[in-house]
Amino acid sequence: MDFARGESDEIIAETIGRFAADELRPRLREFEAARTVGESVRERFAALGFEALDIAEEAGGAGLGLLARVRTNRLLAEADAGAALALDRFAPAIYVIEAFGGVEPLKSLGMNLGQSDLRFALVTDPGAGDVAGVRVAGHVAWIPAAPADVLVGLGPQGAWVLKDGFAFEPVRGAALHAAGASAVRFDGTPILAWHDPMRAARALARIRIYYASLIWGVLSDAAGFSRSYALDRVAFGKPIAHHQALAFLIVDMYVAVARLGLLIEDAAMAIDAGEGRAVGAAAAAFVDAIEASRFVGPNGVQILGGHGFMRDFPVEKAMRDCRALGLLAGGCDSAREDAGAGLAATISERIAA
Amino acid sequence: MNKFSAALNVHIEQVREWGQREVRPAGLEADRNGAPLPPDHPYFAGYVDFRRRHPGPVDDGAVPEGPAVRMAAINEENAYWDRGMGVAAPGPGLPAPIVAAAGTPEQREHFLGPFRGSEIPRWGSFALTEPSGGSDTTAFRTRATRTDRGFLLNGAKCFIGNAARADWVLVQANLDPDKGRSGQRSFFVERGNRGMTGIKVENKMGLRAYESVSFILEDCEVPRDNILGGERPEQTSRSSAYGATMGTLNTTRVGVAASAVGLARSAYDEALNFAKQSGAFRSIRVRDRLEAMHRQLRAAWLMTLRAAWKADSRIPNIVDASMAKVFAAETAQDLASAGMEIVGLEAGAGHHLVEKLFRDAKALNIVEGTGQIQRIIMARHLVGLPR
Repeated sequence: MDFARGESDEIIAETIGRFAADELRPRLREFEAARTVGESVRERFAALGFEALDIAEEAGGAGLGLLARVRTNRLLAEADAGAALALDRFAPAIYVIEAFGGVEPLKSLGMNLGQSDLRFALVTDPGAGDVAGVRVAGHVAWIPAAPADVLVGLGPQGAWVLKDGFAFEPVRGAALHAAGASAVRFDGTPILAWHDPMRAARALARIRIYYASLIWGVLSDAAGFSRSYALDRVAFGKPIAHHQALAFLIVDMYVAVARLGLLIEDAAMAIDAGEGRAVGAAAAAFVDAIEASRFVGPNGVQILGGHGFMRDFPVEKAMRDCRALGLLAGGCDSAREDAGAGLAATISERIAA
Repeated sequence: MNKFSAALNVHIEQVREWGQREVRPAGLEADRNGAPLPPDHPYFAGYVDFRRRHPGPVDDGAVPEGPAVRMAAINEENAYWDRGMGVAAPGPGLPAPIVAAAGTPEQREHFLGPFRGSEIPRWGSFALTEPSGGSDTTAFRTRATRTDRGFLLNGAKCFIGNAARADWVLVQANLDPDKGRSGQRSFFVERGNRGMTGIKVENKMGLRAYESVSFILEDCEVPRDNILGGERPEQTSRSSAYGATMGTLNTTRVGVAASAVGLARSAYDEALNFAKQSGAFRSIRVRDRLEAMHRQLRAAWLMTLRAAWKADSRIPNIVDASMAKVFAAETAQDLASAGMEIVGLEAGAGHHLVEKLFRDAKALNIVEGTGQIQRIIMARHLVGLPR
């Protein structure tokens, strides 16, 4: 694993970090209340040139790979994970089209940057791929998205793409409100449909890492914010960070976030390199993100005590956001299943070798 | 030990029937509204009537369980239906045992008397926490100074339950800062006192059914008769405000633990029912998870009951109470979070009860001594952690 970061990585990080700090973080609650980041913020983000930065260049993306995406997602999600989702009108749905059809379907959908303002949304459909090309129908209770122009369904057997025959209904949503919150009902004939479990697994791996990287950002912020608070807040005559119970907790949270980041970047690099372990590594990283969420999210609130429970501070939002992100991409249990299966395959391969 | 007498079971069944019919819907209504139900909401008059008809077992020897076990049993059942509505329930609330233990006969009559047999909802409130300190009671900055007519209170309090609707708020303030914690006393601030200003009902992540109120005390005049226990020069640890307060918190920790168990049981039931209805129960992973949840829930309940039983048996239970509080609160959080996962996107949609339980549960590891404070308490007793 290469831990080094190149000059271009640093430039991206600095640019995205400044945008997140200046444009997103100060308006956290405003976006949450409005359930959107608004067009002007979207336009300013698009002007930075980081839309679709991990999509193939031939399709109009920057072709920088998933590793660049997860690092960007982390920085955006440190400011507001809901806003990070809102600013991305392609991913993670676009990963499915790219995994199954490659560049040509992306072009046929008018994906090229500067030529379209299409928005894509993703739902998980257990029946996807069972029968390719015929009518698909179903209902998904919640996705963190506002109405989109193209709906992509992904299941363990395959995927489909709808341009008509679906409707978004606004729902309250548990978190990530800046991205919107919708139930999706679909009943239509796909313009594209595929049956290919292997490609479905690869698409899901990328999607899992996409969401895991957002969780990473949320947890990084929760751990950092609560740590700063603990150094300022005084109880029993010293900063609460200097009390053993909290000092150990803060260290444990830091370790959990660092461990998660390593697993995510490792899986992203495996995906970018097309390694056979990528699917299992991505599933494992997603499970780790969810388990870290359970630990870091509530403890970020805990360190602030009663203040953490109030909406005046961002830690309660972080707790809700990371919890909700872990419900996506099929959730924790299916990822654990795939992580175990991926591990078994690797062992089998070793035995065969 | 974990099976109750027939008499207590009858009362639990009454609470269960009331909870299912009234408490759960009222709690959901408050959560959806994002604000507590107003004091004149019919629910509260109904609650007063329910309590008059079903007061529950009393200390007359008719039931074998002591008051702590009874409280645990009822708190658990109440919180199963809605923890927030339990806190919002009319009554003198947390200060009742403090006033009963440390108040003068006149104070007990004047401040607690109106609650006895009242046909209208009334609330009392207890103001301990301050913006500058929650768990660290020595850091409290609210001061009381003597005047010709009584006392002047100056300071600020935060996260105070039911304070905006209470007939009176029992406010903790330091009358003699040179004495440190032992200088702290409690003062009744009655409704309408113009020195109690800046009243703000907080906007919370969960437990929205009850008011958490912040307010400022600005030259707040309190009559001489409103200092808890009167101005006696000699203060025993039992009758001093600080001693009475700390004694009450030790008792109520078990009550909070029981509430956490009730909330956790609710989350478990929601997850189990969803798993059965959706077919997810056929998954061995889901069954494994539910089994682990059930085991953790059971352990939390047994810890809580043991701490309550020790209190009733007058066996020192500080470690047991702290252990039950921290373990049960974390169990509530764990089970609500796992419940979110089992229910999945239906929970993400924000309409499912388990999503509300997830938000509600967090507070239980904060109120009345955070999980960290409980660990410090345990560590002081178990390994002599220095203060």
